[in-house]
Amino acid sequence: MNVIPHITESLRLEGCTILGALSITTAIRDAVTVIHGPSGCTQHNFSLLHATFLADGIAALPHLLSTHLTEDEIIFGGEEVLETLLKDISAPGPGCIFVLSTCIVDTIGDDTSAVCRKSWGVPVIYLPTAGFLGGGFNQGLINTLMTLSHRIEPVEKQPLTVALIGEKNLEYEVETNYAEITRLLNLLGVRVELRFVRDLCFADIDRLGGAALNILREPLLAPVGQMLEWKFGTPFIDCMPEGFSGTLRFLAEVAHHLDLDVPPALRKETAHQDEVCAKFADFRGVAVNFGAEHRLSGIPAIDEVVTTLGLQPTGEGVMLPLPVPVPIGTAGMERLLHRWRRVIHVSL
Amino acid sequence: MRQIALYGKGGIGKSTTAANLSAAFAEQGHRVLQIGCDPKHDSTRMLMHGGGIPTALDLVRERGTSPIAPEEVVFIGYRGVRCVEAGGPEPGVGCAGRGIIATFQLLEKLGALEGDVVVYDVLGDVVCGGFAMPMREGYAEEVYLVTSGELMSLYAANNICKAIARLAQHGRSRCRLGGVICNSANTHREKELVERFAQAIGSFMIGFVPRDRIVQLAELHRQTVVEYAPSSDQANVYRTLAAAILKNKQFTIPSPLETDRLEALAFEYA
Repeated sequence: MNVIPHITESLRLEGCTILGALSITTAIRDAVTVIHGPSGCTQHNFSLLHATFLADGIAALPHLLSTHLTEDEIIFGGEEVLETLLKDISAPGPGCIFVLSTCIVDTIGDDTSAVCRKSWGVPVIYLPTAGFLGGGFNQGLINTLMTLSHRIEPVEKQPLTVALIGEKNLEYEVETNYAEITRLLNLLGVRVELRFVRDLCFADIDRLGGAALNILREPLLAPVGQMLEWKFGTPFIDCMPEGFSGTLRFLAEVAHHLDLDVPPALRKETAHQDEVCAKFADFRGVAVNFGAEHRLSGIPAIDEVVTTLGLQPTGEGVMLPLPVPVPIGTAGMERLLHRWRRVIHVSL
Repeated sequence: MRQIALYGKGGIGKSTTAANLSAAFAEQGHRVLQIGCDPKHDSTRMLMHGGGIPTALDLVRERGTSPIAPEEVVFIGYRGVRCVEAGGPEPGVGCAGRGIIATFQLLEKLGALEGDVVVYDVLGDVVCGGFAMPMREGYAEEVYLVTSGELMSLYAANNICKAIARLAQHGRSRCRLGGVICNSANTHREKELVERFAQAIGSFMIGFVPRDRIVQLAELHRQTVVEYAPSSDQANVYRTLAAAILKNKQFTIPSPLETDRLEALAFEYA
């Protein structure tokens, strides 16, 4: 049983397990996701996902349905309603159906897993996502990636390919970050075999084991990377590159894992980074402020660019916004510097 | 209006006691409502001469949002006792506790919670908040524990004391323990033990119901003892108990026993 020891020790930014799972399941084009619970759990997430999709230029509605539980099902059990819905939505043959449990169905003890195990003619995947059981957004995301990974079989390795694992589908720069990763990999002649999971069909996931290298979005996805390494023998890099030197290290790591010659790519990227820095030569000596007197931001990738460009962190300089999460690669740093330039121009 | 709730271990004889008390109250000229708060929905069977009545929850389920009339939920049994069965899910699914809450809401909406005496017959133990519903504000103000001298029965009764004590901490709660009813299982020194237990938790034994074959015979004839054998000693026991409950003014916030103390008590009388 999980408990929160004290209200002041609880994580306020962790969100709900359901949304973590939805950030993955709704990125599969031919999948339908059922939230087994009252309609509010679906409506709230539907609105959030729809807004995020639109911000990313995706006009499609999230394929999200609710079992619309009422007090009647809470008292008598909701399995029947779930079965009826699964019968209806499995008939047209979607790529797969995900069933996410909510707090209330796990409280009343619905055997959601048993209902999903029945023969529906299409894969029906149960994801236990009752928020009160703990874990939050990240746990929902990791559990979903793990569940999908467990289902797939080894396939022939494709040389010079990578799979991107756990892109943050709800962050607004996800496609921009993807473009940067693709650019960096092109410097080495490497292509992205699969985005696990973004903008693909359910059957595409079967290709996951074919990537020669897995690149995780961030270190918290290490359990997924480790599992894929154990299952398919695929090595992994535990995060996408942040900052100038981090980007160069990333190129070296990819080259190392894929046994490639790295110096030409490093030379190209170093020259590119020099060009980017040259665009911001006017930053030298500008007093900036990260919220603490005479202190850097504490984020290595940010502090590196501050030092490289000669910005002067003080307690009274221009207050610069810090990005969360840190944008990816050299292009990410360049975007950040453009944003800072606007702030500096307005403030001075 | 007196609202009394009978709680106790499953199978201890709560429904038999409740039905016979309701019959005795009715005999004494009171308008009685008995509400079975158990998904098994067999509390009022003897009052209805064995005829099962539709449960409130089944009706709500069947009707959806369509209106329900009070007479579709409240059925008239022996001597005009009005009978309601909450009902609930099949074993192993859903949430029976929420079912009790929904039933109470329905009865309130229908204005059915009225009469001189309302008897709530509640599932064996207070397994969740839903089964504590009859003890909450606005419902039963008197709880009677039905127990025998068996340790597990006393254990369940002691647990219910914990629920009463906890609810009593809420400023506006008026729920109190009215007493302990010993429904005999013919165990050794049973009456002494239950009296001692009642005293230890800060209450008293309000009645002793001896074990009598007439209870089984009455049930086989689908009647309460009060109806089946009105001149029997056992019928008089129920009448006496009903009168004692109506006269009772000794309501307490119980002090539940620690398990070790409860076991030591049972051991002392074994």
